[in-house]
Amino acid sequence: MNVIVEAVAESSVLITVGSGGVGKTTIAATLAMRSALEDKASLVLTIDPAKRLANALGLAALGNTEARIPDETFRAAGLTPRAPMHAMMLDMKRTWDELIERRAPADKRERILNNKFYQALSGALAGSQEYIAMEKLWELRTHRKYPLIVLDTPPTAHALDFLDAPNRILDFLDNDAAKWLLSPALAAGKIGLKLFNLGGSYVTKTISRFTGTETLQQLAEFMLSISGMNEGFRERAHQTRALLEAETTAFVLVTAPMPERIDEAVYFHTLLKQNKMKVAAVVVNRVQPPVHDSLWREAARLPESQRRRFEQTLKENEFLATQDARGVARLRELCAPTPLVLVPRFELDVHDLKSVWEISRYLWGDARLELGPQAR
Amino acid sequence: MIQELVDQRLVIVTGKGGVGKTTIATALALQSARDGKRTLICEVNTKERVTHLLGKPEVGAELTSLDENLWAVNVRPQEALREYALMILKFESIYSAVFENRLVRYFLRFIPSLQELVMLGKILYHLKEKKSDGSWRFDRIVVDAPATGHAITFLSVPQVLLDTVPPGPLANEAKWMRDMLTDPKTTGVVLVSLPEELPVNETIELHEALTKRVQMTVSVVVINGFITPRFDEPTPGLPPGLATLAHEHTARAALSETSRQKLATLGLPVRLVQKLFLPEFGRAAIESIATSLEGRK
Repeated sequence: MNVIVEAVAESSVLITVGSGGVGKTTIAATLAMRSALEDKASLVLTIDPAKRLANALGLAALGNTEARIPDETFRAAGLTPRAPMHAMMLDMKRTWDELIERRAPADKRERILNNKFYQALSGALAGSQEYIAMEKLWELRTHRKYPLIVLDTPPTAHALDFLDAPNRILDFLDNDAAKWLLSPALAAGKIGLKLFNLGGSYVTKTISRFTGTETLQQLAEFMLSISGMNEGFRERAHQTRALLEAETTAFVLVTAPMPERIDEAVYFHTLLKQNKMKVAAVVVNRVQPPVHDSLWREAARLPESQRRRFEQTLKENEFLATQDARGVARLRELCAPTPLVLVPRFELDVHDLKSVWEISRYLWGDARLELGPQAR
Repeated sequence: MIQELVDQRLVIVTGKGGVGKTTIATALALQSARDGKRTLICEVNTKERVTHLLGKPEVGAELTSLDENLWAVNVRPQEALREYALMILKFESIYSAVFENRLVRYFLRFIPSLQELVMLGKILYHLKEKKSDGSWRFDRIVVDAPATGHAITFLSVPQVLLDTVPPGPLANEAKWMRDMLTDPKTTGVVLVSLPEELPVNETIELHEALTKRVQMTVSVVVINGFITPRFDEPTPGLPPGLATLAHEHTARAALSETSRQKLATLGLPVRLVQKLFLPEFGRAAIESIATSLEGRK
């Protein structure tokens, strides 16, 4: 059986990962769409705010709630879904706020939502996007009955940010230092951390020189107000990690065949494997197909004035095809035994369901891209 | 150097992931060094690529000379924090005693974006650094910045901190950094894009975020991988395979032109870098790009 068909059949969560600009969002949408066509209802959760995907799916815009792809969109592309397909876009700030509203004790909610450290954390700061994507995935998985959820992950510069997100929270909560700092204050029910009880100690004075005393004080307040939520966070972080490691969760690594993308993909693949994640397939997107010999023969018969331009174009395409075939061969070797799925470069951008369907034919094995001898 | 960046001492190169930021940043740095400017190129906590492109051994977090007038460094948070702390604390022994303290490490992790702040701090510190004769240690610094979302986060760190932390040493640090980044006489941003719909849209959004939210000045837009039309008039009687070939090339060239027009609406100079078909994307490609960026020759 085709690896993608198998992964879709066996999984309830598929996570697309890869570096930016390789077509990850499109591949995620394709997986969800074809799944719905094949009678497994799906939801694609993306972080990509591009309107184009929404438009391709026949939606005015994607929001923080699930929207069903209208049947007309499918019909316009000559397709009939056998199960519904939904799509939504992750709104970071709102998801964070909802999390706090759900979990924080009533008396602390306002204090947290108004705390400047919280606002910075939930709004703009590094790493929180990765964490909140995991949080949303867990929530959808647990409270909604989608047979398949496809998560399109943020384009990370650092692969670990994403895998690490739940761990980082766990680390925070399980840290002895945190307990030591927070518990006496909690017991006393007021702000008065040990750190500051140390008063004029050497350590405290030195970090104050670095951050300022007031910053430390405010940060301590923030930590104290979220500390009531420790248990909840701890439990959730464990559950998210378990969800990532579950038998029914698989990763689809998306990459492009250019040399610089290959290095990143291999690095990503190694990290996923080290973390004992199941990688269903490496999808190599936008591969240049080889140039047929017949084209060269036809070009040779053209009058001189035309011939050169055609031969130049063939030469360029052949160059790209050779480079891509070499990239594919390297990936195959370095990611073995994870199977590779090749998707050819399409002339123009994906802008409707019809082009999404075309891509799905390569993912599902209805069509195959044959490479030249270099790749074998 | 590109005309629009002649006076800028800090050049920040950013754009969507996969558009060729590193290539363009390296070409700009090479060009700057050739103009006789002492130039430092910084990668930001990433898998090192600049040195590979120039055919040199990796430099890591150690600021290293690559060529005449050209230095490189891959800025990493751990080393940057150490350097930064040492600058303030002056003594290595205090650093070890304090910053290697478990409790302190724990606390520092929760200061919002401290990592980004110290990395940015290191880069900007080198911009202020002077030699003993009073001249700049580096005439120009080129930063191969992270991609869109991370770039906005990275470059807004000083402002976010100013909004978050009360007055004190941390806020003072944030303030001079913010002022340097937003000073158009010092700093120019280069936005790199590809001649395709998505990257173009993202470039326009990034331009909006950088100018309105982060208050920075974008100097120039570079379209990488531009394709010039080759089959201008339709040729009757072609075999179908060749007709498709011509048609595809024309479609790609048309997309390049549409992209150029759309980016031109930003009202900024747009430089085109032709798509290259070179076997090793190394030194030769960088040299050719550096030359074409200079343009109008």
